[in-house]
Amino acid sequence: MAKLKSKKKISRRKFLQGTGAALAVATAAPGVGAQNTATDAIPRTAIRVTVNGTQRRIEVEDRWTLVELLRDHFGLTGTKIGCDRGECGACTVLLDGKPIYSCSNLAVWADGRSVQTVEGLTQNGRLDALQQSFIEHDGPQCGFCTSGQLMSAKGLLIRNPRPTADEIRAGMTGNLCRCSNYNHYVEAVLAAAKGGSR
Amino acid sequence: MKPFANSNARDLQNAVQLAQNARQDGRTASFVGGGSDLLALVKERIAAPDVLVNLKTIKGLDQVKPANEGVSIGGLITLDILSRHDLIRRQYTVLAEAAETVATPQIRNVGTLAGNVCQRPWCWYFRNGFPCYKNGGNTCFSFGGENQFHAIFGGGPSYIVHPSDTAVALVALDAKFRIVGPSGERVIPAADFFALPQQNPARENVLAADEALAEVQVPAPRAGTRSTYHKIMDREAWTHAVVSAAMMLEMDKQVCRSARVVLGGVAPIPWRLPQVEQMLAGQRITDTLAAKAAEAALEGAKPLAKNAYKVPLTKGVVRRTLLELAARG
Amino acid sequence: MRQQQNTSIAPLKTVGHATPRIDAIERVTGKATYTNDIRLPGMLYARILRSPHPHARIRRIDVSKALALPGVKTILTHENCQVVWGAGGISGGLQYNDDIKKITKHRRYVFNNPVRFVGDPVAAVAAVNRHVADEALGLIQVDYEVLSFILEPEEALKPDAVKIWPEGNLSLNAQNQAQPMSTRRGNIEEGFRTSDLVFEDRYTTAFVHNAQMEPRSCVANWDGDKLTLYTPTQGISNCRSDTARDLGIPPEKVQIICQYMGGGFGNKNQNQDADLITAMLAKEAGAPVKLEFTRKDDFIGVHGRWPTVQYYKVGVSRDGVLKGIQLRGYSGMGGYRKNTGTIGGIDIYQCPHIDSVVYPVYTNKTVSGNFRGPEYPQGFYGIESMMDDVAYKLKMDPVEFILKNMTRKSRDEVPYTNYSLEECIRRGAETFEWKKRWRPQPGSDPGPVKRGAGVAFMAFRSALGRSNAVIRLDAKGHYTVFVGVTDVGAGAKTTMAMIAAEALGVPVSKIEVVWGDTDRCPYSVGESGSRTTIQTGYAVVQAAEALKRQIAEKGLPTGDNVLIGSASPNPTLEGKVRAAFGAHFVEVQVDTELGHVRVLKYLAVHDSGRIMNPLTARSQIKGGATMGIGMALHENLLYDRRNGQPLTAGFYGARLMTHRDAPEIEVIFIESDDGYGPYGAKSIGESSKVPAVAAVANAVFNAIGRRMKDLPITRDKILGALA
Repeated sequence: MAKLKSKKKISRRKFLQGTGAALAVATAAPGVGAQNTATDAIPRTAIRVTVNGTQRRIEVEDRWTLVELLRDHFGLTGTKIGCDRGECGACTVLLDGKPIYSCSNLAVWADGRSVQTVEGLTQNGRLDALQQSFIEHDGPQCGFCTSGQLMSAKGLLIRNPRPTADEIRAGMTGNLCRCSNYNHYVEAVLAAAKGGSR
Repeated sequence: MKPFANSNARDLQNAVQLAQNARQDGRTASFVGGGSDLLALVKERIAAPDVLVNLKTIKGLDQVKPANEGVSIGGLITLDILSRHDLIRRQYTVLAEAAETVATPQIRNVGTLAGNVCQRPWCWYFRNGFPCYKNGGNTCFSFGGENQFHAIFGGGPSYIVHPSDTAVALVALDAKFRIVGPSGERVIPAADFFALPQQNPARENVLAADEALAEVQVPAPRAGTRSTYHKIMDREAWTHAVVSAAMMLEMDKQVCRSARVVLGGVAPIPWRLPQVEQMLAGQRITDTLAAKAAEAALEGAKPLAKNAYKVPLTKGVVRRTLLELAARG
Repeated sequence: MRQQQNTSIAPLKTVGHATPRIDAIERVTGKATYTNDIRLPGMLYARILRSPHPHARIRRIDVSKALALPGVKTILTHENCQVVWGAGGISGGLQYNDDIKKITKHRRYVFNNPVRFVGDPVAAVAAVNRHVADEALGLIQVDYEVLSFILEPEEALKPDAVKIWPEGNLSLNAQNQAQPMSTRRGNIEEGFRTSDLVFEDRYTTAFVHNAQMEPRSCVANWDGDKLTLYTPTQGISNCRSDTARDLGIPPEKVQIICQYMGGGFGNKNQNQDADLITAMLAKEAGAPVKLEFTRKDDFIGVHGRWPTVQYYKVGVSRDGVLKGIQLRGYSGMGGYRKNTGTIGGIDIYQCPHIDSVVYPVYTNKTVSGNFRGPEYPQGFYGIESMMDDVAYKLKMDPVEFILKNMTRKSRDEVPYTNYSLEECIRRGAETFEWKKRWRPQPGSDPGPVKRGAGVAFMAFRSALGRSNAVIRLDAKGHYTVFVGVTDVGAGAKTTMAMIAAEALGVPVSKIEVVWGDTDRCPYSVGESGSRTTIQTGYAVVQAAEALKRQIAEKGLPTGDNVLIGSASPNPTLEGKVRAAFGAHFVEVQVDTELGHVRVLKYLAVHDSGRIMNPLTARSQIKGGATMGIGMALHENLLYDRRNGQPLTAGFYGARLMTHRDAPEIEVIFIESDDGYGPYGAKSIGESSKVPAVAAVANAVFNAIGRRMKDLPITRDKILGALA
């Protein structure tokens, strides 16, 4: 076994007895600010949110993002976290029918609203036309951005059922794909729209 | 993220009250509209509010309404709705076009007009938590550092550029901002809302503690007015303006009666060019005049070590935007 | 080994037909389980505290306040956790095997002191949830003695430069010698003497990050002395052997599971410090632990492509025949040498006199390592820009220059198993309408908006190698293929199923694939080096043959019986060299007033042998080309020279290509079957990025008449060059 604790075992007791050293700020390095608030009561709020057609009640911490609620508490792990900063689109879900970044919205703000995730695209075991088209055009490579791409495409087709290729690119431009399969995603959405995907 | 409480505001007075209550308890409060930017700042430990006063629960503050022959636009209107709004597209084109260039559809679907106007800078030193003016320090790291995207006008002691596209459009439209705060309401011209770093290097505008931008009032355009927004980005989506231009021309056939020309991406505030506006008034917009205007636009520019390219770039943007707008029917 | 050579290929039943991925439904329904989707009972959440300094000695770490935070369970630092991360930085960029282990002077631990880049791990916290873990990071007090630092490889070699390692900044090789990597052929002085013209130039490339969509995460669970790691890895087999070695436990006590992964492009191969840290946290805490990286963690804590400085000297006859090529190169490896740092490209030219010397240099930037064609996109950018410039100065069409000087035998001596480079270039030039799009006088278009065309070509290794496969047949006629592949995104599972179906003469629907679990799958090389299809695919063919022999011998299984065919082939090339070939043709439009580049047309012509699945193969080509455009025009992990801080660590800052940036990529496959690999398959995945950067850069030159010698070719540089 590797050398965990082999030389200087640090027990919690020893830590607590330590005198502590000052944080040395020697240069302009951005620091990690100390915050000690975990002992405070963490604000929580009871919310009601409709997820993929089912109304759910849950008490959330006010600081939970919507994607945390979906993934960690509702087990809807199809929605991914790629950056957690609203820069990639992997976490895209529909909020009242419009694509949003679920990493950049709090769960508590979804109170009284309706959320659709990738898990809600399949109806009665039948794939949505977009899902079928994504398969046929090999949209997903690694697949990590795919749920977000699907939800952006879904949101786009709700508003614009017959988009042009340029409109698709504009509508999905908030969804990065590092495998860079952009051509295939656009082809897939064009084909799904032609086939009358709703 | 650090813990914080979300407080839903019933109306503007209530919002101000909630923020004040928090402050009286020794807690910090932030108003939040769409919230995308604020949450990113909290996650990066750049902002640390104890209370988020949620403005989205205020009803009716997301509308475009006729007012004083112009329109009043609620601060909570989303950028997406704004960019598709018929009346705005037709008569206040520059604002619709500016809103359309912001970030991505997902952000425009929640991001608000007021939030966009009040957005914090996207300077990489600020966003990476350097102890700069904007983070409560007393230096600007871009000066003498990596300043490719920083100010060529109005800089010092901070050299950030204002990140908002809609702000540039609103200054071009000669909008007024209705601000609500603890001591009531005030209405100020958009141009007076933004503050140069010389005034206060920590902030980008004149909002006092617990004040919020509630509404934007835009005067009716005069007959023959057309406007546009031209944004130069580092990739085709989801970047802030390297340089942008908001222009409004009041045309009488071939002659420009009056003009408003405002630049984005070049200064810590939307940067109006009165000398160019005067040069255009009463003139036909020709290639020669456009070139002259572009030269005049950059008078007084003080590029930093790594952003001299913004000078020819901005000239090009001014010249082209002017010619394209003048040629529009 | 089949003896078919260089023929036009005969169609097959399954292989070669566009086939949707066998796991496509999982991928479009959100059911595919990625590492971060794993949740175990009682699981803790972990975060890493990273150095805020580019170079510093840790005097003292005080974790008492963090440990006192309710919910914090375990904290590891260099004081209580001394585990060598063997794959993280090893002499000469070689494997950390027993020999190296004994002698190497430059060990990389999971927590190092001194820390050598902004992002070097300092501590790890496991807590009841991610918020508590995150808060605890802010309560760890570290007293740093800040040291001088160095960012640029050339500066690092100056005599007065601060030493990042006691032996100096030129990285040691496997014999602990501070020597550059040299390749020589002929006599370079002779080459220049016999040249009519000699040209010299300098090119630089930036640090760019793999930036795969899935940030690194890991879930570790100990059951007694058995460790199970759920981790996104491109190679479960090497991840297991690395982890066992680093933790000092037997390989059979380590199970690696990777069912789905969100890309890696080279930075998820082998094991990662995250795997070791998570395993140690779980051991110490006595509970399963999930470690999550933030996106910034991923950008600064996981490696990217090594930045380079390349000095070329090229001698040529007046009629454009190469006589000598000299390269002096510098590669920035970061604080640890995770890979060789070589600069590839010279070998694609036929030339009697070659002299290449490359210095892999320590710097205080984020560590460099594998990223899609590790040493090639940056090397090809340098050499193919250089050659494009030589052609220009000789007033030659670059296509003519390439046809005159491109490789015909590997290193001018060893024959290729098949050779299609000339066809790639001729067919590409014709389809692209090169003569129409290329400007004989660069920058000659009237007006501010100018067009131009560029070309670059490549040869990319397609070696054979050992791998394993097991196929089981039950009485119901179901075939189960056991292969130790993961699926980084290229579609390996589907390819394996198609190859098995072809070899067994059954439809793909009869094949089930078991993958991504070291307890269930035999050794596979891992998805690196574009060789999974070639190596493991070949093992699948052999296993199928073995199974068919059994069926012939014993008949089909009945009742509960099964038949099992297995194979562990290690084929060789009998003295030849095997390569994929390709050429990319790009037309750009440059707005010289606004400094804006737009790709108007992009054609990629590739010989990757027989294409197993045209549907997924096209995705690979399009993706690599698009990434190459991003590397050429946008991407750069920018550092502040005054304080060594990275400024653009994230998707926004890195300016990755978006839907709106990505042009239509036209793909042509020139198929071949050289008799090796499964049905003649050669490599694809990495090769599509290799010539892309150079092709774009050459097109920009052709449009504006200014050679852009430093990546990325951003607006400020274009406007600066034209000013």
